Amino acid sequence: MTMIRVTAYENPKSIEEATTFLAKDTYVPIAGGTDVILELRNGMPVKLLDINNLKLNHVTSNKDNIEIGAACTHTQLASNPIVSQFVPLVGIAAGKVGSKQIRNRGTIGGNIVNASPCADTIPALLIYDAELVLLSKKGRRIARLDEFITSPYATIKRNDELLHSIICKKNNKTGYSYLKLGRRQAVNISRMTISVALDIDDDNAVIDACISAGSVFPVPSRMKDLEKFLRGEKIKPKLFKEAGKLAVDLMIKHSGYRWSTPYKEPVLAGLIERALMQASKGIVQDN
Amino acid sequence: MKLDFVLNNKRVSINVKGGLRLIDLLREQLDLVGTKEGCGKGECGACTVLLDGKPVCSCLILASQVRNREVTTIEGLSIEGEMHPAQEAFTETGAVQCGFCSPGLLLSTVALLNENPEPSREQIRRALSGNLCRCTGYEKIFEAVELASRRINGLSVQNDKV
Repeated sequence: MTMIRVTAYENPKSIEEATTFLAKDTYVPIAGGTDVILELRNGMPVKLLDINNLKLNHVTSNKDNIEIGAACTHTQLASNPIVSQFVPLVGIAAGKVGSKQIRNRGTIGGNIVNASPCADTIPALLIYDAELVLLSKKGRRIARLDEFITSPYATIKRNDELLHSIICKKNNKTGYSYLKLGRRQAVNISRMTISVALDIDDDNAVIDACISAGSVFPVPSRMKDLEKFLRGEKIKPKLFKEAGKLAVDLMIKHSGYRWSTPYKEPVLAGLIERALMQASKGIVQDN
Repeated sequence: MKLDFVLNNKRVSINVKGGLRLIDLLREQLDLVGTKEGCGKGECGACTVLLDGKPVCSCLILASQVRNREVTTIEGLSIEGEMHPAQEAFTETGAVQCGFCSPGLLLSTVALLNENPEPSREQIRRALSGNLCRCTGYEKIFEAVELASRRINGLSVQNDKV
């Protein structure tokens, strides 16, 4: 029997009530609990703030953006029609998290604030220039997702703040690809994930490229130098091979030459090449 | 704190400590030891129960989080002593060997068949991929799900290999 040392358990019914608790004391917000409960197994005492009754499980669409409530489960996002139409990579990534049991409980907000280098949904969200809505008694603050995570498992979220929702910009590209590499298909901690959105014109030249990676850099990141390299180029197999090599250079530049680098070098080059190839075919694909 | 929820179609009202996990409530306080704890980390699926009909890991939920919701464990699958068709199928195809993963696998199976009474082999594999079994190699489990599916749908099972 594993006893988690919960010294207080609050179950607020409104955002106002929740942010009041967070302003008063140090609480750990809990939604699905698939990460939080694991962390608490070491017996560290904790005050929990259950955010399941704050109605944060909405997905809405306006002219430019999609808003996703922080408490949307991965199951919900993997089958949501708005998500699959406007931010397809997010739906694919959510569908690849853990197992059915984990997807039924784990939330996208939890995946973000846990800030793991191998979080499945973060690289997908980065493709849509995601921004986070953080609420506290001091007011509302918007943080860019690419500036939110400072190092593995650390974010700029203050203890008095609650992640309310994620805003993704609609970007209609001609093709998408999400590749997740692991030792097996299910219940799988990603070895690497690659998200790609490509916009290609009628002459088969790259108008725009958005590329992000998980488990490649200390935090999930866009590969802006690689995107710049591809813009304006005519599509040919050699181009994607070169892109793979450039991605490896970027990895070593930003992550250093680590113990895992000899493995990751050919893998990253291969995945980038494959993801670009898939996205250039003008459909939504995953492995 | 006082916790009210529905467990296997019966209302339960019980005092629980804030840090109690659902699996510990089931096994230690309610003596429902059919739910097994394997890894305790949400990776093996042995502790799977249904929460409002959906499979979840009971090792990763606090008891407090099932307030006013409906939990189904392996003990709730049989009705008046009659095994659920999935349970019968599991025993017939040899899908139960050491048995430790069986309760979790059965609940994942029941959730799948409720949602999709005629799943393809691929859909079965995906739906059960969060439940690890180290004995059977899964083949007999997939056969059991297919057999249960045919029986639930009232299809002929005369030619079944059982």
